[in-house]
Amino acid sequence: MRVAASSILILVCLFSFMSALSIGAIHVDFYDVWLALWSYDETQLAQKIIVELRLPRTVLAFLAGAGLATAGLILQTVTRNPLADPYLFGISSGASFGVVLLLTIFGIQNGLAMSGAALLGSVCAMSLLLLIAYHKGTAQIESMLLAGVALSFLFNAFTSLLLYWSDPQAITAIIFWSLGSFSRADWAWMWLPFTVVLLGFLSVICFRRHLNALLLGDESAVTLGVNVHKLRLGMLLVSSLLTAVLVAACGGVGFVGLMIPHIVRFFISQARVLGMLMTALSGGLLMLWVDVLARSLIENQELPIGVITAAIGSVFFLSLLMFKKRSATI
Amino acid sequence: MVAAQVSVNNLNLVINNKHILSDICFSVASGQFVGLIGPNGAGKSSLLRCLYRFQTPVSGSILIDQTDINQFDRLSYARTVAAVLQEIPSQFNLAVFDVVAMGITPHKRLFSSISLRDRQSIQEALQKVGLTHKQQQPYESLSGGEKQRVMIARAIVQRPSLLLMDEPTSHLDVKYQIEIMALAKSLGVTVIASFHDLNLASALCDSILVLDQGELLADGTPQNVMTTEMLSTVFGVNAEVSLQSSSNGEQIPYIRYQYQLSETDLDLQVSRGRECE
Repeated sequence: MRVAASSILILVCLFSFMSALSIGAIHVDFYDVWLALWSYDETQLAQKIIVELRLPRTVLAFLAGAGLATAGLILQTVTRNPLADPYLFGISSGASFGVVLLLTIFGIQNGLAMSGAALLGSVCAMSLLLLIAYHKGTAQIESMLLAGVALSFLFNAFTSLLLYWSDPQAITAIIFWSLGSFSRADWAWMWLPFTVVLLGFLSVICFRRHLNALLLGDESAVTLGVNVHKLRLGMLLVSSLLTAVLVAACGGVGFVGLMIPHIVRFFISQARVLGMLMTALSGGLLMLWVDVLARSLIENQELPIGVITAAIGSVFFLSLLMFKKRSATI
Repeated sequence: MVAAQVSVNNLNLVINNKHILSDICFSVASGQFVGLIGPNGAGKSSLLRCLYRFQTPVSGSILIDQTDINQFDRLSYARTVAAVLQEIPSQFNLAVFDVVAMGITPHKRLFSSISLRDRQSIQEALQKVGLTHKQQQPYESLSGGEKQRVMIARAIVQRPSLLLMDEPTSHLDVKYQIEIMALAKSLGVTVIASFHDLNLASALCDSILVLDQGELLADGTPQNVMTTEMLSTVFGVNAEVSLQSSSNGEQIPYIRYQYQLSETDLDLQVSRGRECE
């Protein structure tokens, strides 16, 4: 059963990757995609499109989905709150603030600089959150969640203020950035999201027993030999880093971190390694297809990623609510 | 004389300048079943928290097998002491098997996976609590008694020599209260459990500790501890205590509460009510 599920998932992943590479403004068939991947010929335009444009995008989309889903899983576990989400903790608001600051004060509109500013902003928000939550040595989950929400409002206030004073061109750039896009994907810095997502996922697998024990409650986790405070702090850092790097790379992409762990939990006990693997892979797959949709829904125009994920996400949540209500009344 | 497995000496716990426990001293011999009773807020849970190292006392010491508990590292302490608490995981769709499997956490290194032997011990524990057939079901779908049995199975997998239980029988049907306690007793390890039901405590415990406002008021066999005076001073109830013989010939105190407040109590309440007005 486990082997079957894993192999189906791997096959689906392979198929999705191939499809994502072949679908687009210019249709490239599977054979050419295969050729581009294994015997790249730079002179062929179709192959060049695959390797230089679509492949980095697709890889980034997959990494972003997998990373955000893992970050969501971590946050939901350490806060024992199934509604926790990487965006709830003010990390993305911090990133937006960094970008807005860069655009309005320094007037720079370079993609790489924007990513750098976003990273700085989110790291700043993350450190503030940890500082506030841990200023007495130990953090209460509730105060941490509240501090995160408060911080995100604070950063949003500053962002709005700066936007209010800035020119329309900057505002358009900000809006485009904050809705998320994988079009900035570039091999030059792909190593960063790749390393962070891989390390994040490995740390979840490595500490899976301790994370599971945390689900029983802090006190029970202590009786199982888990250093609750250190684990929570470490895992918060991991998930913040994941979010910060991914938000910097592709802007605000909401709902994946919240949605994917939820869906996977519907089918698989959260304590299984398979569940964790599923969470990361299905997050990646969802993002990959969202990117395909964004590229191909409207001809000659790219839809912002954030619009599609938020639309899918809210419909998902509404149906989850209805489903839960129905199962409660039976 | 058998050396005490657990000995607590002059334990003091202060939280936010409030004395939660003051000068607690007692010892428990290996294999004993000890009941912890007292009214709400007496410090039962806090005492247990000190024992499972969730809270650090300001003074005093706790020894387990003649070793101070602060000298154990996290994992070896978790291999010695297990706890069944009132915390109940929810909303995470955990399978029963996975909850029981959490018991092996202190026996495992970070990357190691569940071995065949671990799997076997998990299955044995499930069998012992009679939940083998429900191991793939979500934990949330179980009844209250079954949930507690899962937690006990988890503690069995942990292979402790001391088991602490914080009110494991509250909110359960009478049948399950007896079942859970009999199960805990059958494990053959030292057990310290807090109780709400005084008759259940009398019937099952080898010895009973009575806590009131953070002080240890009595420590002894149920026969010596369960007296009309104790019940009226500590719990504020009028009750008759009679001795009944159990199936194995032991004399067990049986408490019959009087379900009417005495005249003086009522007068007191009325006059208090008037003062409030």
